[in-house]
Amino acid sequence: MIGIEHYIVVSAILFVLGVLGIFLNRKNIIVILMAIELILLAVNINLVAFSAFLNDLTGQVFAMFVLTVAAGEAAIGLAILVIYFRNRGTIAVDDVDRLKG
Amino acid sequence: MDYATSLYLTGAEIGLSISGLVLLLVSAWGGARVTRLVTILAAAALFGAAIFTGHLFTELSVPAAGDAFGGLYRADDFSSFAKILIYLAVIACLMITPKYLAANGIYRSEYPILLLFGAVGMSMMVSAVDLITLYIGLELSSLSSYVLASFARDDVRSSEAGLKYFILGALASGILLYGMSLIYGFAGTTDYAAIRLAFIGGIETGALFGIVFVLAGLAFKIAAVPFHMWTPDVYEGAPTPVTAFFASAPKVAAVAILMRIALEPFADHVDSWRQIVVFAALASIVVGALGAIGQDSLKRLLAYSSINNVGFILIGLATATQLGTSAMMTYLVIYVVMTLGSFTALLMLRAEDGRPFETFSDIAGLATRKPAIAWCLLLLMFSLAGIPPLFGFWAKFVVFRAAVEADLIALAAIGIAASVIGAFYYLKFVKVMFFDEAEGSVVKTSPIGQWIVLILAGIIVSPLGYFLNGLLDAWSSDAAASLFYLV
Amino acid sequence: MVDLSQYLPILLFLFIALGLSVAFVFLPMGVSRLTGAHQPTAEKLSEYECGFPAFEDSRGQFDVRFYLVAILFIVFDLEAAFLFPWAVSLDLTGWAGWTTMMIFLAELAVGLAYAWKVGALEWE
Repeated sequence: MIGIEHYIVVSAILFVLGVLGIFLNRKNIIVILMAIELILLAVNINLVAFSAFLNDLTGQVFAMFVLTVAAGEAAIGLAILVIYFRNRGTIAVDDVDRLKG
Repeated sequence: MDYATSLYLTGAEIGLSISGLVLLLVSAWGGARVTRLVTILAAAALFGAAIFTGHLFTELSVPAAGDAFGGLYRADDFSSFAKILIYLAVIACLMITPKYLAANGIYRSEYPILLLFGAVGMSMMVSAVDLITLYIGLELSSLSSYVLASFARDDVRSSEAGLKYFILGALASGILLYGMSLIYGFAGTTDYAAIRLAFIGGIETGALFGIVFVLAGLAFKIAAVPFHMWTPDVYEGAPTPVTAFFASAPKVAAVAILMRIALEPFADHVDSWRQIVVFAALASIVVGALGAIGQDSLKRLLAYSSINNVGFILIGLATATQLGTSAMMTYLVIYVVMTLGSFTALLMLRAEDGRPFETFSDIAGLATRKPAIAWCLLLLMFSLAGIPPLFGFWAKFVVFRAAVEADLIALAAIGIAASVIGAFYYLKFVKVMFFDEAEGSVVKTSPIGQWIVLILAGIIVSPLGYFLNGLLDAWSSDAAASLFYLV
Repeated sequence: MVDLSQYLPILLFLFIALGLSVAFVFLPMGVSRLTGAHQPTAEKLSEYECGFPAFEDSRGQFDVRFYLVAILFIVFDLEAAFLFPWAVSLDLTGWAGWTTMMIFLAELAVGLAYAWKVGALEWE
């Protein structure tokens, strides 16, 4: 029987993978965008699982908002990436180093 | 549900949203010709919103509040206070901007519109009494900020600043959101008052994790140590008027939601979050003071200065008392004035070939070349350092007083010691401007909008600011009282 | 309030999850180093394309204009996520729900008009 704990474990694993994906990835900024989506999806799994478990619709409404905001965030991320690429000609993570103190 | 009341209470946000949408269409059809008009109209809309909020501030009797849309949104003195501060800060940003952006060839009408939408998001944040409203407001203001950071599209540093801000900001939102989902799961609701009721008997470990995640996400947004690493880079890379904006209005909004979330749903569990806030406060003060010492870039230095100031603000939160909250509000007002003033002064300084001043060697001997700006900067820097006759001293004083009264004497003592370290680099500013040899040229004239902001900031931080004290105190304590109304 | 306390142990899984995903990332790396299997040569790194030499780099770049289309698509696509629950619950939400959705759609239309006018929809 699949209970709420299974959902939470899956979501926790996805969340941690997403966070590690941002910090350990040394290749490509697109991968970072995907890691951010992974984090938001982990949150959505959590929200929907809790919502079903608690028999309360709020969590699902919240999940809808997270989905749409995630789309807007991805769009803006891509747009910034495009202008960055136009300026630098690369989207490798190691090349993001012009600003240093 | 009474829609009329809801619409009335959210009037400022609705007005700003409609103006933003209309101005968006105006800018699309009008092209480059209407940029100036759009800027003026945006400032007018913000001014109207500030007046309306001021009306709410005086009308809602202390400490009563109005809930709108079934308890998703609350208009009380706390939110009105923060909103007026935010709107005025954004108007100041609009006033100092045009000349700078025009000189760099990036003055487009999307700039004021993004600021407008950012202001809508921020005012939703400070009024949010539900996790969903909080998240939507936060994202609205963050998404505008990401675009603003990379507003100079052809500049490598600006686009890199935008990229860094976006990645770390999105990560922060993700962490915050994960915390919210845990809180929702364990409380069974997203409403602040209901969350408080749900945890009245004690807080479970799961919800505790939720609080920790939420605090970590918010610490990112206010740039508190240990989540401050993006600040110097983003502040340096973004166009200077945008940096002035980042350091002022969004910081007010983020601190305000941090206060509300700590003191409303989790007011019964101060012990579970106080340690984190104390740590973040001390670490921010120390890192802000030490990190600035070796800096040559003025914008990076001001970034560390803002980290340092956030630390002092958090001392007020660590007290978890009404006095501490009121001290934070006072501190926020004075901080916004000081930071806007310093960035405006920085904006007004550029060499004759159009290159903006960025390092200490640029401002050497400024007192002989641009005495008015140099004297204003002197006031602002002494004030940031907290040297007594100036108003910045009062900000630090009220926070420390609240800390001492809440028996956090060690915290106050360390804070005072660290502010002495911080004074070092503010004084370096003054030393370089007044005692070093001048070199190079500096542009003679500056637009009137920048002068107005700079002189107003100069007057407020000067000892004349103490005349405002009575009003500021009364308003801050009203605002603080409305947070503690339910206690 | 629903008693979730019996599910508390799963929060320990947060840490386990952390450990696991660290292991996922580092284990393969470590194993390949330790076993000496990590010996890239030009032959091994070249991509396999039905026995032919590769025609072009398989990680070739997309035209940046595809990204612009993708950006607009993502934003306008997601409105459907709101439309469905709105449509099935319209009898509960009534005129208030209807008006709200019309305002939302009008806002989207403003966004579309802006994108159209500034030329974001044009390919060239």
